[in-house]
Amino acid sequence: MVVDDEPAIVKALERNLRAHGFQVASATTADDARSEFERWRPDAVVLDLGLPGRDGLEVIKAIRARSATPIIILSVRGSDADKVGALDLGADDYLTKPFSVDELLARVRVMLRHVARPRTGTDAVFKTADLAVDLEHRRVTVAGAEVRLTPTEYDLLRAFIANPDKVLTPLMLLRAVWGAEYGSEAHYLHVYVARLRRKLEADAKRPRYLKTEPGVGYRFVAQEEIALSSD
Amino acid sequence: MKRPFVRTASSYLIALAAVAVMSLVIGLILRLIPIGNLSTLYLIAVLAVATRLGRGPAIVSAIAAFVAFDWFFVNPLHEITIADPAEWVSLGVFLITAVITGELAASERARAKIAQRREREALLLYDALRLMADPDLDVALAAVAERVRAEMHVDRAEIDLRIAGTEHEAAAGGIDSPGAVTELLGHGRAPTDTASGQPGRWIRVVPPKTAGPVAAATLARRFEVAVRAAGGTIGHVTLLRDDRGESFTEHQRRLLELIATQLAALAERSELQEVVTRGEVLRRTDELKTALLNAVSHDLRTPLASIIASTGSLRQHDVTWTNEERDDFIEAIEQQAQRLSSIVGNLLDLSRIEAGALKPDKQLHDVSALVDDVVSRMHGTTSRHDLHVQVDPDLPPVAVDEVQIDQVLANLIENATKYAPPGTTIDVTARREGANLQIEVSDRGPGVPASEIEQLFAPFYRASGRRSASGVGLGLAVARGLVEGHGGRIWAGNRPQGGSRFVFTLPYESSPEPVGKR
Repeated sequence: MVVDDEPAIVKALERNLRAHGFQVASATTADDARSEFERWRPDAVVLDLGLPGRDGLEVIKAIRARSATPIIILSVRGSDADKVGALDLGADDYLTKPFSVDELLARVRVMLRHVARPRTGTDAVFKTADLAVDLEHRRVTVAGAEVRLTPTEYDLLRAFIANPDKVLTPLMLLRAVWGAEYGSEAHYLHVYVARLRRKLEADAKRPRYLKTEPGVGYRFVAQEEIALSSD
Repeated sequence: MKRPFVRTASSYLIALAAVAVMSLVIGLILRLIPIGNLSTLYLIAVLAVATRLGRGPAIVSAIAAFVAFDWFFVNPLHEITIADPAEWVSLGVFLITAVITGELAASERARAKIAQRREREALLLYDALRLMADPDLDVALAAVAERVRAEMHVDRAEIDLRIAGTEHEAAAGGIDSPGAVTELLGHGRAPTDTASGQPGRWIRVVPPKTAGPVAAATLARRFEVAVRAAGGTIGHVTLLRDDRGESFTEHQRRLLELIATQLAALAERSELQEVVTRGEVLRRTDELKTALLNAVSHDLRTPLASIIASTGSLRQHDVTWTNEERDDFIEAIEQQAQRLSSIVGNLLDLSRIEAGALKPDKQLHDVSALVDDVVSRMHGTTSRHDLHVQVDPDLPPVAVDEVQIDQVLANLIENATKYAPPGTTIDVTARREGANLQIEVSDRGPGVPASEIEQLFAPFYRASGRRSASGVGLGLAVARGLVEGHGGRIWAGNRPQGGSRFVFTLPYESSPEPVGKR
């Protein structure tokens, strides 16, 4: 489903998504978006934040109240606070206008793949490229070689692989790893992410898995498609 | 000094007259009833003179009373003889009474005078403070100068103050400024007595401007008190008086210095005020810049996003678009590029309007042609609305800058299409209204909340609840700038039947050569 108050964008996205085999519903206001969502129950939502009447953030809340449908924010609001706000409310990804159609399509595909094969917590071993995490035995290997992680590092990595390819804000990660009372101690997080990178990445300066989303947070890249499109 | 002398002489004459009158009274009484010693009646006269006229006349009247009594009523009559020691006593009593009552009365009068002066001082200071409270500094200074001039009985009072690097000057009264006088002397024009006292021809002031209070004795006709603040002298209060006046007194100097102190406080206050104001202006400018940035980020990026999405779509290698789809993408690119161009144009116009650089190039144009031009050019924008145009056929041509008024009308129509729901009617009417051409664009949209009508024409303003309506919120601001540049007026309101109306007027005036219908 595409929600945007700009008819030209809605039209272009509809065309492109249909051309790539998706069925597309669209809405131009927050209220429309909510009723259309109820009617169609889409697999993914591309959502603009600046909607007439109620704000797009309201739509995120409304959708998250009843489903885990992936939401990709597509907005001109480029400030970090806007992005983090939308992600903290439960959006899965964020693209700033103007955007590349290719990148948007790639993100949509990735989101849908995760929906199709929910991996979180069900597989005993998480594998992507040359990284493998044995969740049962808390064993981490890179290209077959075992990597020793401290308990905190391991918890952080597990928080990442529980949400593959999704942008995670510092708030989300801190709460997941350190507990609900944390939220503003982002520097802990930066230190541990740096350590994880040194241990997991072939080149910690140009990470393959743990990418920084500047000003917003981090993204654990599981799928090559994202790794390529966001470079 | 003639006047004080006259006053003194007359008071002595009055003293003598009082004694003469009293002698007459005593003579009359003695004619009717022979009473022993009536000399005490003279005491009444002496007392009266003492209280009214002071010590000197009192003593004179005492002596005169003694002499008169001796002359007229004491045997031998018409002879000054003091044989009886009792008469010596009588003379002594007269004199002592005169001196004591005169002294008492004089000091009482002096006290009353001081009290009166204090009261006037307090009143003057109070008035000065009240006048200084005027928000317009120049008005305040002029009022204070006038008040000082009236209080000090001078012909002219001047105040100059330097506040935050700006010179403020105020003057009250008719004599020309000392600067002009000095110049006159410098040019060697011969001063003549007949000219003195006439406004603009005042002559006798020669001393150069000196800082600080000038001793009252040395400078009778020009008097200056410095206004001192923490950073040194910041101005002067100057009094000028034509040469027949009295000297400036110590008391006046003190009063003037009090005023100067208050002026210094005023200057300090204004300076602080200015700092605050400057801070506020900076903050507002900053807010405007932020608003501009937000507007630019939102409203320039939205069309850009459409353009990039369309070009990106066209470049998709794994999709084959139909011709119709391709045309649609290209049309979208075109439309959005035009939208960008109009936003950028409005931004530039606004900055030029604000810089005062957008002067209308007025020529006579036919109103109907002008309106039709805009309407046909905006066909794409208005396609989703029902546009009704009604131009009074008898309208005379109007002197306008065609490009600018086009822009105004286009902005108003575009505004209407943004807020009125598709399918509704938008009316464009033009008619004569007195000495003005009045053009109105009204829609059947939600109307404008009364509380927002005032702010509608501010840059970057958008009606509440419609944050995402496209456009930067510049259209109306530009329209206002352009209409006002033409000497017209623009305003907004609501139709009684619902919907908003935007109206602007352009004055019909005697204007340059007609260009005629195009």
